[in-house]
Amino acid sequence: MADVQRHVARFTHGSRIPGWDRAADLEKEPAVVPDAATTEVPGELRAAIEDAVRRFPVGDSAFIPALYAVQAQYGWCSPEGIEQAAAVLGRTPAALTAVATFYDMFEMEPLGRKSVYVCTNISCSLVGADQLLAALEEELGEDPDVNLRGFECLGACDIAPMASVDGVYVGPIELGEVPELANQIRQGDDPLPAKQLIRRPCADPKVAEQ
Amino acid sequence: MPRPTEKLVSLTIDGNEVQAPAGMMLADAALKYGDVEIPVFCYDAKIGPPVGACRMCLVEVEGIPKLQAGCSVAVTDGMVVHTDTPTVKAAQEAVLEFILINHPLDCPVCDKGGECPLQDNAFGWGGGLSRFIEPKRHFEKPLALSPLIAIDRERCILCYRCVRYSQEVAEDDQLVLEERGADTFVTTFDGHPYVAPFSGNIVELCPVGALTSRPYRFRARPWDIEQAGSVCTLCPAQCNVSFSVRDERVLRVLGRDHEGVDDGWLCDKGRFAYQAIHVDQRITEPLMRDGGELRPVTWELAIETAAKLLSHAGAKTGALVGGETTNEEGLLLTHLVREALGSNDIDSRPGGALELELLRALNAPTLQASVPDLQYAHAVLLLDCEPVDDAPILDLRLRKGVRHHGVKLLIASSRPSALDERAAHSARFAPGCGEAFAAALGAALAGKPSASLAQAAGADADDVAALAAQLREAGEEVVILWGERLTAGPRRNEGARALLNLADELGLDGRDGGGLLEIPSGTNSRGLRELGVLPNASIGLGDAPTVGRDSQQIGEALAAGDLSALILLHSDPLLDQPSSELWQRALGKASTVIAHAAFLTPAVLEHANIVFPAESYAEKEGTVVHPDSRVQRLRRSIARQGETRAEWALLAELAALLGNDPKALTCSMVSARIFDQVPFYNGLSLDLLGGVGIRWSERQAAASFPGAPSAPFTLDPPPAASSPNGLLRLGSFRSIWASPEVEASPALAFLHPRQRVEISPADAERLGISNGEIVTVASNGDSVNGLAQIRANAPVGTVFLQSSIPQQSAALLGGPMVEVKRA
Amino acid sequence: MTDTLLFKGIDEPGLNTIDVYLARGGYTQLQRALKMKRGDLITELTGSGLRGRGGAGFPIGKKASFIPKGDMQKYVVCNADESEPGTFKDRELIQKNPHQLIEGLIIAAFAVDATINYIYIRGEYEQQADILDAAISEARDRGIIGENIFGSGFSVELELARGAGAYICGEETGLLDSLEGKRGNPRLKPPFPANEGLFNGPTLINNVETLSAIPSIIELGAEGYAAIGVKDSAGTKLVSISGNIERPGNYEVELGISSREIIYGLAGGPPDGRKIKCWFPGGSSTPVLTADDLDVGYDYDSIEAAGSMLGSGAIIVVDETQSVVELAYKLAKFYSHESCGKCTPCREGTRWTFHMVERIKEGTATPMDLDIMAAVQEQIIGHCLCVLGDAMAMPIGSLIAKFRDEFEAEIEANRNERERKLAAEFAAAEVEIEGISA
Ligand SMILES: Cc1cc2nc3c(=O)[nH]c(=O)nc-3n(C[C@H](O)[C@H](O)[C@H](O)COP(=O)(O)O)c2cc1C
Ligand code: SF4
Ligand code: SF4
Ligand code: SF4
Ligand code: FES
Ligand code: FES
Repeated sequence: MADVQRHVARFTHGSRIPGWDRAADLEKEPAVVPDAATTEVPGELRAAIEDAVRRFPVGDSAFIPALYAVQAQYGWCSPEGIEQAAAVLGRTPAALTAVATFYDMFEMEPLGRKSVYVCTNISCSLVGADQLLAALEEELGEDPDVNLRGFECLGACDIAPMASVDGVYVGPIELGEVPELANQIRQGDDPLPAKQLIRRPCADPKVAEQ
Repeated sequence: MPRPTEKLVSLTIDGNEVQAPAGMMLADAALKYGDVEIPVFCYDAKIGPPVGACRMCLVEVEGIPKLQAGCSVAVTDGMVVHTDTPTVKAAQEAVLEFILINHPLDCPVCDKGGECPLQDNAFGWGGGLSRFIEPKRHFEKPLALSPLIAIDRERCILCYRCVRYSQEVAEDDQLVLEERGADTFVTTFDGHPYVAPFSGNIVELCPVGALTSRPYRFRARPWDIEQAGSVCTLCPAQCNVSFSVRDERVLRVLGRDHEGVDDGWLCDKGRFAYQAIHVDQRITEPLMRDGGELRPVTWELAIETAAKLLSHAGAKTGALVGGETTNEEGLLLTHLVREALGSNDIDSRPGGALELELLRALNAPTLQASVPDLQYAHAVLLLDCEPVDDAPILDLRLRKGVRHHGVKLLIASSRPSALDERAAHSARFAPGCGEAFAAALGAALAGKPSASLAQAAGADADDVAALAAQLREAGEEVVILWGERLTAGPRRNEGARALLNLADELGLDGRDGGGLLEIPSGTNSRGLRELGVLPNASIGLGDAPTVGRDSQQIGEALAAGDLSALILLHSDPLLDQPSSELWQRALGKASTVIAHAAFLTPAVLEHANIVFPAESYAEKEGTVVHPDSRVQRLRRSIARQGETRAEWALLAELAALLGNDPKALTCSMVSARIFDQVPFYNGLSLDLLGGVGIRWSERQAAASFPGAPSAPFTLDPPPAASSPNGLLRLGSFRSIWASPEVEASPALAFLHPRQRVEISPADAERLGISNGEIVTVASNGDSVNGLAQIRANAPVGTVFLQSSIPQQSAALLGGPMVEVKRA
Repeated sequence: MTDTLLFKGIDEPGLNTIDVYLARGGYTQLQRALKMKRGDLITELTGSGLRGRGGAGFPIGKKASFIPKGDMQKYVVCNADESEPGTFKDRELIQKNPHQLIEGLIIAAFAVDATINYIYIRGEYEQQADILDAAISEARDRGIIGENIFGSGFSVELELARGAGAYICGEETGLLDSLEGKRGNPRLKPPFPANEGLFNGPTLINNVETLSAIPSIIELGAEGYAAIGVKDSAGTKLVSISGNIERPGNYEVELGISSREIIYGLAGGPPDGRKIKCWFPGGSSTPVLTADDLDVGYDYDSIEAAGSMLGSGAIIVVDETQSVVELAYKLAKFYSHESCGKCTPCREGTRWTFHMVERIKEGTATPMDLDIMAAVQEQIIGHCLCVLGDAMAMPIGSLIAKFRDEFEAEIEANRNERERKLAAEFAAAEVEIEGISA
């Protein structure tokens, strides 16, 4: 089951879904808006959230930036971090988790801090994405620092099969390059520099002619 | 904003020409005007605008190629709608098949069975066939969502009703959806329970058996209960309810949607405190004190003894009348006290009498705002009240007004309000200084701002000015929702004058859509006053032939020995009156205390000689008056429990035994007498009241309301605020959960309030107090303990404690200044 | 074809910085536009015939003209969520020429008098978002964003908002909810965003490519721009081509060009001379076309006439060696994963379809399941709140319709395979049991 989950996060073959047995603990107090006077918030986290609030002066638009800030602080959207963000935003923590769990890039469990997303969508899988994911899993699957997961189309089907290593897009990745890439990920080195999307010229021949 | 006007449009539904108000949603219009049911799941107008989630309501609208969601298409002129074509049928069957693929269909063991919209829709519109053979979504079930609510996620059809309710109606934002797509589920944050003042409404909203009431679970099936409509008398909001009754027991309370009263919602007290009707600790037989203990006795003995004791005390009898008393009981008690005993010492207002003239002015029919006005006014000013505690359901109405009708909410209170976040402006004043604040606000409105008045109110002059500016700009329709505490306490008459001046300044007299709306301290306070259950008024707010003692003076006279007997009709002065100290002395000194009570609350337990069992609200008949002047009818829904007898009959019997028979043979006879004797109720009858009641202030007979002096009044300047000297000012409030019924209901016991000491971060720091520790609050040698609760928005220099709780109540402290220290 | 417009000099080093962009004549079209009357500007946009490049193909001029006049706060929101599988054109525009987008966006903002504007970019495009953020800062520093730009009296604000991984936030109203900090559930329409969009204000939402084309329209004039392309499909279009293809990437083509020219001429066709089994003409949510459709003109109307849609302009080529079941599996997996869950037919229908394809793969499906699957697609189409449900149902429906035999063959083959395996396991187990009893 865990294996299936890795292929596409929060998607399981079976009939049980995450949270299937989540009951309320009746000993707990209700999760109302945390009181600013009694909720301690790390300085950087507060600063990041307050900056977002300034940039999006209306409504709850600062939610997503605030959740990114929580994730940067704790490595995941921990309940503690969510409560702190809720205190700064003056909203309930539930309002924040509702949003956090909607999006694929927020982690609701502590996972490796290095995120490696391997696209397994149509264009990539037409040219071997599933094998790529399997090969990377072989290399990095057990590494606690790495959050390796299959992902939907990352908008880089021109470099299929591809992966996003902490936001850096690389591809097309050949199976033979997997050990090297895995090593770079483990070491925190620049992943496959020659294969980074950012360096790739436009495919349209008219561009080169200009 | 002004109410929407209704313009009619013509449309054709399934071949029939139908007229409906423009803008109405097709599903509503079809049902109401076309007698065609378009099935729905997610839509319910009272949650807010449609979201179009379930797709159950698809219909064909000519000229639009795609099927349209009937719940979210507004009717327009000339629209041609088909709800029964093959395409529509196919869509309905498709949607139901989709909904049912993950539904467990455990109807035989489902609480919803028999009253389940999913069963009904599947029966009426489903294809009766499922081709789904894959595993269904599985959840552990049922799980607790809160002590009151169980959740069965397998039955959830993800209609969004409950979460929209939490986010957009109650605005508590505790109940949400997590995850996405078919993995979506309803939950709370990190396993916290969903506990909020209005949480129970989701049980009624859920169209399936996914959310069920834990106290009701498996207690009954729809076919073995009966529904009985009445009114909840647990607070002044007087929500219309329907009791689910089985074998003379109330098993559940549901809302009975009344736009003019409750808008279809109930608070959790109203929904679950019915349990208190059927608990062992309820008094269901007469008790007499015997060797210091209260012991059951026969009715004959209790009545005889009571009559004897009362006749002995005669005119030296005082009576305190609690807010749950009906008009009929109020009338008969006044008869007993005034006519049979010759006393005038009767009061239904805690904290002292208000000048009769002022009372009339405040109750004048032309000055009364209605509950729906709260939703449509340009601005609503909350003055010295906290709706969620004082009349909970109004909190939801105000939120609706702000959210959907652009009502500008303004708040003036001493304790931070639950509605602050929704307010355009909130101003704070020192506890007990509502009068000074109203005076300061009035002065600012009149263009003569006064720094000294603001200072006397312990308020910020800029705040007062800002509030005044907002009120001025808001528009004509302004409602002032005010709490009785503004007109309680030593400066109560000045409070009333200041309030009347405000109304005058805003031109509220005779204004449609605006006016004053009081939240009184008791459920039927308004009715009792209008019946003259006051020391200084006769029936119909006429002049009292002789003015008697008010509640405060009754206490003093008892303590001084000038009165010897006390009747407590649904009243416990140790909970309801401002000073416990005075009442301890008074009760200690009284030789006779006769109480009508359902529970052994402190004064009853310690001091009553005779206790008559009080009927519960489900057992009562009679009438009550809503704070907005709506006369409502209570209907007996279950047999009286145990030995309990009709209280009106008992009061009549006592008076008869004392030699002055009121000649009341039935309760409805007493009601008729009331409609006859109160001039401005003339012409009402129980039949007219029916199930929805009538606002007397809107009827012609209102013209006979006694005249009253008119504003502006010259005000007596308030005393300057006392200097703190390192002490904190004491503020008290009565929580929604502070009531004997809540305490007695097993399901609600977890909510029964413990004392908390609310204090600002600055004061906490100065006093070295940390959050959650036990602190002592003391004044003049008295002290109470509570858990420190540091609140960022608590005003500096003030500490708030709860009153009306049996232990450690704020009423034990004299105030106004208190010392707070670590215990 | 004519010269490139959107991709003009796109690989010029440093084009993403304002100095290079200005040196190349950047922001002059904005200055020209600011001198025009708002009404004339909208007429210009309408006259250009530019249709939305995000998927729905709605004419931008018409949409802009729906924005009410008045002094309420209005917004332009740029849809840079680009999550439709196969689509990656906006990415290249943002990364390499962000100022072109900013220029186009400000012109649109001026046209509809929107002073507060947002670009909503998918969270995964971290590098592109950083580049765009830097470009916005540059523009702000140069006074191109801010008060009274170019002395025109028009003041404009622009912020970048990052998504966090949800395809549905590309749907315009889901995007708005996400931008408001909510779960990205699509809203009921009407009200349309033009009347009640972001924070309930009138909002013009357009795709990155649509907005990036605006400076060219100002430069060429409406007529000049409209002259490019074919009837009702004016201008150039970026085509993202991927899958089984020799030279995947983005190509700027004049609308109306033959599809064969794109797939074979520009991108080199499938590798190793393999044949095309089918192709998605406009992203994974468009019904598939086959090799028979290669000569269809690549423009809105022709593709529609062929039974599909131009969509986002993303061509995914699937060659003859691929399995249609696998294709259906990936589609169903994607859409059921991305369904927001708000409306019943999409939430349940996509997941059900996924489970059915899964059973085909496992070998537990029968041909009857194929009928059910086809029927379920029909039950989804036209019944949902937004079109995500249809976005799965249409391509899967088209796959079943066009490749029924292959599905049936695979169902059969997988069943046999499974039975063989089971029999083998059973035999092994019997041997074991025998072994024990012996
Ligand atoms: C499920 C779904 C996903 C979409 N994703 C995108 C997207 O990623 N980018 C985009 O520009 N438009 C997307 N759209 C289209 C938008 O809803 C909208 O039509 C478009 O942003 C309008 O801009 P345009 O007129 O410039 O094309 C999507 C639509 C749907 C229904
Ligand atoms: S919710 Fe309704 S349909 Fe579902 S199990 Fe309960 S009674 Fe049956
Ligand atoms: S729990 Fe009930 S009300 Fe809430 S979403 Fe599910 S079915 Fe609807
Ligand atoms: S069609 Fe799908 S994505 Fe669109 S609203 Fe419905 S559930 Fe959400
Ligand atoms: S399919 Fe892999 S990046 Fe698009
Ligand atoms: S009732 Fe109309 S969509 Fe649910």
